[in-house]
This record gives sequence, C-alpha cells and structure tokens, in this order.
Amino acid sequence: MLLKTNKLMKAFGGLKAINKVDFELPANEIRGIIGPNGSGKSTFFNLVSGVYEPDPGSYIEFDGKDITNEPPHKVGELGLARTFQLLRLYQDMSVINNVMSGYHTLVPYNFIDAVTGRKKIWDQEKVIKEEMMELLSFVGLADYAELNASELSGGQRRLLVLARAIAGKPKLLMLDEPAAGLSPVNVDNLMKILMRLKEKYGLTLIIIEHILKVVMDTCSKVTVLDHGEKIAEGAPSQIKDDNAVIEAYLGKKMDDEEMRKALAV
Amino acid sequence: MDKFKEIIRQYPFLGFIIAFIILMLIPSVFFTDLYQSHLASLICINIIVAAGLNIVKGFCGQVTVGHVGIYAVGSYTAGCMFLYLGSSLWLTLPAAILIAGLFGVAFAIPSFRLEGPYLALATLGGGEAIRLFIENGDFFMSTYGISNISQPVIFGVPFDTPDKYYYIAMPVMLIAIYFSFSVLRSSVGRAFMAVREDPISAAASGINVKKHKMLAFVLSAMFAGGAGAVYAHLPPGYIHPNNYTVIEMVTFLAMVVFGGLGHIWGGIIGAIIITIVYDLTRPLYEYQLFIFGLTIVFTILFMPKGIGGFIDKYFIDRRFKTKTGAMSK
Repeated sequence: MLLKTNKLMKAFGGLKAINKVDFELPANEIRGIIGPNGSGKSTFFNLVSGVYEPDPGSYIEFDGKDITNEPPHKVGELGLARTFQLLRLYQDMSVINNVMSGYHTLVPYNFIDAVTGRKKIWDQEKVIKEEMMELLSFVGLADYAELNASELSGGQRRLLVLARAIAGKPKLLMLDEPAAGLSPVNVDNLMKILMRLKEKYGLTLIIIEHILKVVMDTCSKVTVLDHGEKIAEGAPSQIKDDNAVIEAYLGKKMDDEEMRKALAV
Repeated sequence: MDKFKEIIRQYPFLGFIIAFIILMLIPSVFFTDLYQSHLASLICINIIVAAGLNIVKGFCGQVTVGHVGIYAVGSYTAGCMFLYLGSSLWLTLPAAILIAGLFGVAFAIPSFRLEGPYLALATLGGGEAIRLFIENGDFFMSTYGISNISQPVIFGVPFDTPDKYYYIAMPVMLIAIYFSFSVLRSSVGRAFMAVREDPISAAASGINVKKHKMLAFVLSAMFAGGAGAVYAHLPPGYIHPNNYTVIEMVTFLAMVVFGGLGHIWGGIIGAIIITIVYDLTRPLYEYQLFIFGLTIVFTILFMPKGIGGFIDKYFIDRRFKTKTGAMSK
C-alpha cells in the first residue's frame, strides 16, 4: 500500500471533522474522494500532508514509513505532493520560479555551494530550468514562463499549481478540487493532462472533486465521506447506486438519462 | 549585448572583477574632496546593510525592525576588540560577522510564531534593547562612545583618510553583493520567496519553512554585522550609541523599500540614493524621521515595488513581447 490511514481522527472542539477513517491506496491507482461540503475531504488532505496534526490514536503510513506526526515539509520530501483548494500560488513570483520552487527537494547542490556561487551551480540551475520549461510546455504554459503568476487567468493558475506539484517528482499527488471553476472545455483538457501525467510519471492520484464527470471518468475507485466518516467505497458505477451516497451527496437516484445530463456539464 | 550578458551569467565572477576595476577608478576621475570619498564609503557600508535587509525582508518576507541593533552589535564587536585587544579590521570584521550571526539566530526565533506587525514590534524591541544595553554599559564606554578606532594597514600603507578608506569599504561591499547574488539566484533564494509568498504551500513542496527563516535572518545579520565593523573603522573611527537609533533603522528600511523589496539591484540603488539624501539633510536632523517615513509611505502607496519594480516590469514585458508578439496586458 502506498498510503494507509488507520483510525484517522481529528476534532475541532466538539466537531469531529474526521472520525476513524481507515483508508488504503495501492500504487498506480486514481482515487476519487467525494462528499458534501464540510464532510472532511480537505481535512483529510491536511491531515495526511501534515498541515494539521491528527488526534492521538491515529496512524498514517506513506510508502512504508510512519508519517503520523511528521511536519509538512518532511511529508513533502518523502514524495507526497498536494494542491490546495484555494491554490496558494506564489503570486509575486514568475511562473517558472513557481514551478522551480516545487523542485526544491531534488536540487542537487547544498547551501554552501549556493553561497559561494560556483559555476557548477549555474550549470545545474540551467538544467533544472530546462527540465521545468519542459514541464510547463507539457501543461501548456511555456509561453507565460516569465510572467508573474498573478497575471495568469483562473484556468492557467489551476494548471500552474498542478505543474508545481508535479515538479518535485512525487509518488503520490493529492489534488483538491482541480477542476473547480473551469469551463467544460478546460475540464476536458485537464482530464487529458491528468491521464497523460499518470502514464508519463507513473503517478498515483487522489482527487477531491465536485464535478462528477471528472470523478466518474478518471477514477478507478471512489471513497465517499460524510460528516467525517467513510460511508462508501467502490467503483464509480457502484457508488452512484449506493443508497447511503445518494442520500448524503447525490440527492436522488439518477436514471441513465439524468446521469448523462449531469455528466455533460 | 546579449552575448555579453550570457558570458556574465556563465561566469558571475567576471562581472564583479569588471565592477571592481570601474569602482577603483571612480574616485580619481570624479571625486574632488574628502567629503565625497567619505560619502562613497558610507554608501558602500549602507549597500551591505541594504543587501542583507533585502534578504530577510524583501526575499523571505519577514518584517524586521531590529536590524540596526545587529548593525550596532557588529560595530561594537569591532570597537571593543580594538579597545581591549587592539585588533585591526582584519580580525574584527570576521569576529563581528560571526557574533552578528549569533544575534541573527536570536532574532529569527520570534519569526517562527509571529508575523507582520507583531514580528516588527518584537524585533524593534530587540534592536532598542541592544542599543540601551550598550548605552548603559561601562564596558562599551556607555554614552562616551568609542573613539580613535584604528584604520587597517596594508603593506605598511595606512588607510586612515576617507579617500583611502573607500578602497577598503568598496571591495567588502562587492564581496557582500556577490554573496547575496549567489544565494538569492539559487534554489535557496527561491525557497525564501516561496516562504514569503505562502509558507503553507512552501512546506507542501518540501521546503523547511523554519530552517529558511533562520537562514535568512542569520545571513542578513552577518551582512549587517560586517557593515557595522567596516563602519566602526571608518575614519575618524568613532562610534556612539546614538548612531543606532530607530531613525537609522527607518533609513535602512527606506533604502530597501524605495529601491524595491525583493529586487537585488533595487536595494543597491535605494541605498545609494537614500544615503546621499540622508547626508544632505543632516542639518534638518529633526525632520529626517519625517522625511524617510513619508518616503516609505508614498513608495508603498504609489510605487509598491520601488525602483526595482520599474526595472523588472520593463524587462519582463519586453521579454514576453519578443516571445509571443503580444503584450500581456
């Protein structure tokens, strides 16, 4: 298992944001997480990536290592990358610098090299920059490399955070609503990029998404959260027929015609 | 021109050798009296401080108002070493850098938990505490100040007049700028910026936020300490606690803000302009805080990225234009 949580718990005061969630994710899978607002999806991400400290009794394992109480930068170093719902771009940095800072853990020289500024560093920086430019052209942002991140459009920003997260060559990538606010065409484009990424880098993905089309088409398995608890898990086709899921999230059972309509959005 | 730029980028050291030669020639061509040499040395010293302050404030985004305290630590390390041990600049400079670095560690610790104006208050308290400690300590000659601090001697030639001391201050400044360029153009500088822009997402990329805040504080403290030592030995070699007040701190901040936060050249240009203005307005001592306070306020209101921002904008828009044949805005 690449990622495993056992009795994961987090309470904010009296509110159990995540309540005893057991989660297992093998490598090379694309997993979807869905659930109504406030069901604990983002909290789950924050716990796994170390932004929040889980309550005692929780256990998180990533790639065979216990990361339960590790700080976020340690988790990032181990190869777990994530994006944020509110993007958290480095607004006042150029697009290329945004992506290059995602490469931080793989930089081959150390601090002393950097201070002395030997020629070796500049050569290595050049190689890194070329590699990152390749990544930018992969997501279609190469022409904007020297612009400030704040000058990009909403859709481009979503692609940039994606590129920044992949820059560190993670084993597991957790995407928090990657398609929120995108137009249908851009959603299709994003899905294509995600599938190509998975093939190219052998990524494992967890996707939180409210646009069901993304979840149903890309994910091989879906986990459903409600009130901090896992209420269902299974293939997308099973999930959409599950009574508990319908009640908590989908609202009502959809027949094929309605499903097609919903997916068309 | 582009080819020249490429060569400089390949061999950054070459650019500094060229700058060194040009700066060596400037006094004999342009300077007519000792006052100008004195001002040039002061500019060099202030550039060192501004370059350091730019690391912690401009790049790492930590608002520190206690830097003048660290500058005082550098000066008084040099002053006391001269007073009690009779050391020359060659010994006091590394010692000042080292001790200032230790003070940098102390100043970094509040930044782990405090942000923005709260951090500013904490560091302001730290800086003032250092000054008051010096002012009330007999060991530091309290309000008499330390005078007649020696000037360095190279091959039997004493650098004891302002026109000669420029040749000491200027190379130190170039070395400082070289180090600041190397650090800020590397992955460490990028990590600093990432911490400034968004610590949470920086941590998610595997950047150790606390470590980089500490690095930024220590590095910039070392710059300030080194500048303090060079200042202590500046002819006539006199230091007094009154040279390290909030007014000086505001002046340093004005240099970095006016020049452009997070812009390496900006800080240097700001240091040059503000030092000259500061020296010209010395007769208006009581209005200086007012003048530089206003400078900071107006720069932030109307030119938030300072002079460096203009340079950046010009170059970046042009680069974008050549690439896609269209303007971005």
